[in-house]
Amino acid sequence: MVEAVTVAPKTAEHYDVLVVGAGIAGMEASLTLGDMGMKVLLVEKSPTIGGRLLLLSKVFPTLDCASCISGTKTSGTSHHPNVTMMTYSEVSEIRRNDKDGSFSLRYVEKPRYIDTALCTGCGECEKACPIILPKETEYGLRGRKAIYIPFDTAVPKKAVLDLDNCIFCGACERVCPADSIDFLQAPREHEAEVGAVILATGFEPFPIEKKESYHYGQFPNVVTSLQMDRLTGPTRPFNSILRPSDGKEPSNIAYALCAGSRDKTVGNLRCSQVCCMYSMKQAQLILGTLPAADVTLYYMDIRAYGKGFEEFYQQTKAMGVKFVRGRVAQVEEEKNGDLTVYHEDTEGPGGKGKSTHDLLVLSVGLLPMRGIEKVFKNATLELDEMGWVKLRDETRSPSETSIDGVFSAGTASGPKDVPDSIAEAASAAAQAVGYVLSWREKTGAAVGIPLPKSMPVPMPQAVEVAAK
Amino acid sequence: MAKVVLDKPGEAKEPARIGVYVCHCGGNISDYVDVAKVAETVAKEDGSVVVSKHLMFDCSDVAQQEMIDDIQKLKLNRLVTAACSPKLHEATFRAAAKRAGLNQYLTYHANIREQSSWPHSDDPHGATEKATSHVRSGIAYVKSAQPLDVLRSESTQSVMVVGGGVTGLRAALDLARMNVRVYLVEKAPYLGGHVAELASTYPLGEKGIAIVQRLVSEIQEQPNITVFTNAELVSFKGYVGKFSVTVRMNPRYVVDRSPRFAEAIEACPVQVPEEFDHGLTVRKAIYWPRGPTVPHLPLIDLGLCTRCGACERLLGKAVRFDQPPENLELQVGSVIVSTGFEDYTPALGEYGYGEIPDVVTLPEFERMLEFGDGSGLRHNGHAVGSIAYLYCVGSRQKPGEATTPGSPAHAYCSRFCCNATIHNALDVSGRYPDVRLYHFYRDIRTYGRNELLYEKAGRAGSIFVRYTEDHPPVVSQRDGTAHVTVQASILQNEAVDFPVDLVVLVTGMVSRENRSLNEMLSLPIGPDGFYREVHQKLRPVETNTAGLLIAGTAQAPKDIRETLYSGSAAAAKAATFALKKELELEPFVAFVDPARCSASGKCVAECPYGAIELREQGDFGKKAWVNSAVCKGCGACVAVCPTEAIQRAGFSNDQIRDMIRALGVAEEGA
Repeated sequence: MVEAVTVAPKTAEHYDVLVVGAGIAGMEASLTLGDMGMKVLLVEKSPTIGGRLLLLSKVFPTLDCASCISGTKTSGTSHHPNVTMMTYSEVSEIRRNDKDGSFSLRYVEKPRYIDTALCTGCGECEKACPIILPKETEYGLRGRKAIYIPFDTAVPKKAVLDLDNCIFCGACERVCPADSIDFLQAPREHEAEVGAVILATGFEPFPIEKKESYHYGQFPNVVTSLQMDRLTGPTRPFNSILRPSDGKEPSNIAYALCAGSRDKTVGNLRCSQVCCMYSMKQAQLILGTLPAADVTLYYMDIRAYGKGFEEFYQQTKAMGVKFVRGRVAQVEEEKNGDLTVYHEDTEGPGGKGKSTHDLLVLSVGLLPMRGIEKVFKNATLELDEMGWVKLRDETRSPSETSIDGVFSAGTASGPKDVPDSIAEAASAAAQAVGYVLSWREKTGAAVGIPLPKSMPVPMPQAVEVAAK
Repeated sequence: MAKVVLDKPGEAKEPARIGVYVCHCGGNISDYVDVAKVAETVAKEDGSVVVSKHLMFDCSDVAQQEMIDDIQKLKLNRLVTAACSPKLHEATFRAAAKRAGLNQYLTYHANIREQSSWPHSDDPHGATEKATSHVRSGIAYVKSAQPLDVLRSESTQSVMVVGGGVTGLRAALDLARMNVRVYLVEKAPYLGGHVAELASTYPLGEKGIAIVQRLVSEIQEQPNITVFTNAELVSFKGYVGKFSVTVRMNPRYVVDRSPRFAEAIEACPVQVPEEFDHGLTVRKAIYWPRGPTVPHLPLIDLGLCTRCGACERLLGKAVRFDQPPENLELQVGSVIVSTGFEDYTPALGEYGYGEIPDVVTLPEFERMLEFGDGSGLRHNGHAVGSIAYLYCVGSRQKPGEATTPGSPAHAYCSRFCCNATIHNALDVSGRYPDVRLYHFYRDIRTYGRNELLYEKAGRAGSIFVRYTEDHPPVVSQRDGTAHVTVQASILQNEAVDFPVDLVVLVTGMVSRENRSLNEMLSLPIGPDGFYREVHQKLRPVETNTAGLLIAGTAQAPKDIRETLYSGSAAAAKAATFALKKELELEPFVAFVDPARCSASGKCVAECPYGAIELREQGDFGKKAWVNSAVCKGCGACVAVCPTEAIQRAGFSNDQIRDMIRALGVAEEGA
């Protein structure tokens, strides 16, 4: 990789709040802050905003299409007058200024090797590029080129060049009608001053290769739930659900729940909180596409705890999805690519069972996205034993982290579904504004945006607050 | 003041140049509706359609940009989108039109998903036909649409929070920290709601009252918050930015401080079970509320008081039996409703409740733990050596399973109870290590890191026995001992009998009966009985009344951390109103053509909001006049007007007639 090149510091940028990560939580926090009149710097390390949610098919429990939910947010974020969106950029350093509670930061805009002011997102470069690689946003189910637009509904819809895999053939440069390709682009470092920080850095799917007895990566018809979400999505790679080994439409699909969760053997005792629900959602979507298919869920407890979730579970059962209580222990591959699953069956005779399916979906859990703790240079961002951002005072002010003025939103502090992530993001926004204003009042610093001053109103009668 | 700008009828209009954009909704629509055909048909049959396209996602940024480019390059002056429900994305496309320089109300959003593709998935041809006619009617609408200006309304920079549990406390605190003035109104005489009652909360083991006290002590430092306890809402009117709310402060009959409160309470001869302790202790008719109270005074329960005068003799003028309720009218920009939940109360005989003395609920048991005397756990005069927890009492009910006559079954999961029960078991194991604990459950839902509690409880000796919904446990009493008979699923539903000293029914959350508040505020209620948000993901704290927000367990069961998030989230939304000097409102209000008005007064009588009056209007004389700030645009007046003088902006009678014609419906009387 190319080393960061410091561009001669321009005037440092000033914002009220820095939001790190532009998934659903980061977008929600930015939009809420922007609507309150706060100036926001939103830094996203991937080339597009929208995060994991944008890649899902539909979302439980109401089965809204994920694009319909996040489309409004991506579009709103990119057009908000108070939100400055920096994609393909990474925060490299944050220092807290104890004098006034503010933060000084540096972030690096990685080179796309594309002049985004010129690129129209036409996709001609993609067609010309001879290099084919697995597409990250499709979890390898489709290919992409070395120069590519991440996906059709990408925001911003700009190409990005993967220099590590480029052979410098020049094909893209020759076809680009906007002349936007620039092989000489260098990383650009920015400096900024902000009043508060919101971490919305999200999660990573559990690397299920670690659970060796499931043979993910070895048996082609063992797929992850993230891949299945793509297979059932509106922008799905094939126009149906096909199993990888031979492209056959599966008719007997199994789900192994708690893959990489509630499992001491892989080092994650916790429940990942969303897998039961998304597995049932996928089961419903599968029955929409393949009405004759058998779908079996191997589970330990069905954790349908949120608003409308239990009702969704009952509906899934009523649709004919089979629930077997017991964990999958071992998977074997048959000659035809089918999979024999050895599992507990705590409610069946003998307590165990063996069944053959033509596709096995692993409902993978969530792990923290690590790295953000390293950018804090003069304060410690505490993490819990799994690496999730630790909440300092969760029964009083649950968005606060160990650093004053740094707040957590969405799955940065633990697995969470979309409604909970959204609530937490708005909460972080409220707390960040309170923090910024309290410091401004303390230091008398000029308020960038006109906000009302404290305005106690005389009450008609003496009313006092007193604790016993 | 609000102002509506409308084109005058007969004013020359440029010919319509319409762009139509039919959405696939990634298959949600295009799997059943032939979107290409819809786009093609309307383009062919109507010359004013300049461009007609079908796109994967109309709402994506790329598609919006395409519309904007078309508007500018092809000089479009009207926009029709055919996609999902207008509730979801009408605002999105209005915003896109605005960015393109087009008046945002020269657009129409036809719903061909909820109204065509989804309900008619069994009939693609019919769905396509129906979608086409919806688009035709949208085209008819925009042809006669007139540009409208948003209404502007001054914003009152204060917020009312209704409900002083931890959610309301958090919301108030966040708003105050954002320099917004807050009125916090609590019906009970103390703050802290249910949390104040909890002996030990998960996951940290804090006492509930400690959590409340910490929030209250922060609130005390905020000059921007005014707290009312023992108070309730009695009237509510207005609109976002300018609600007028009347709060009634109910009398306490104790009006001043006194050093002799303790003596006076001692002297009171009336004794009743203390609700706070679920009847495990008693209180007097004059008593101190059990949580933080404002003003800091005891109160007299006049319904119980015998007027014996014992307290009055000690407290003198501090007692005033003729203290009247006091009404206070407050102006606020928005209202957050965080009125919380009720504990589910089992019906008499439900799992032995109320009939077998050794059967209690979890909230009752929480209080019992508070009163342990250190000599071991005791109940009903005997030592407790074993406890059976019965999960999902009053939750996850099957249709018809409700035990309270007339109430619907609680189909939902109450979310917090598995975690709370397992934490409770750990608490019991910590205090009384020899007590045997049995958990009879359907699914253990210790989601997230609460799983660690579950793991720990198992190690601490809790025994978990699963049953299925078709084989619920039976609680009985034999020889004075409670028995739980459960058909354990692990034994293929073989019945096993557990004699225990105490049965704890793990009761869930149910919605509060708050009829007068719900009616006063027109709060939307979902099938589970809790308040319903506009959209769980897009507008999670909003209701259909702008500026009326919901938070906490009034919306759905939540635990403490989650309800605090919810309170802060509602505060954030309220702040987006309160931090602005002026709010923009939709211009869909009624307007009057005074030349046609016959001053029948029918509209005045019909208007449910009192927005219309007959008023002197120059040469026209006394004619109907609409206060557009108060009008909600419901159209009730339009329907009763004998001369079509009153109409609704954005939906004129002619427009509606045009749309109906375009749908191909024969007009009545035509």
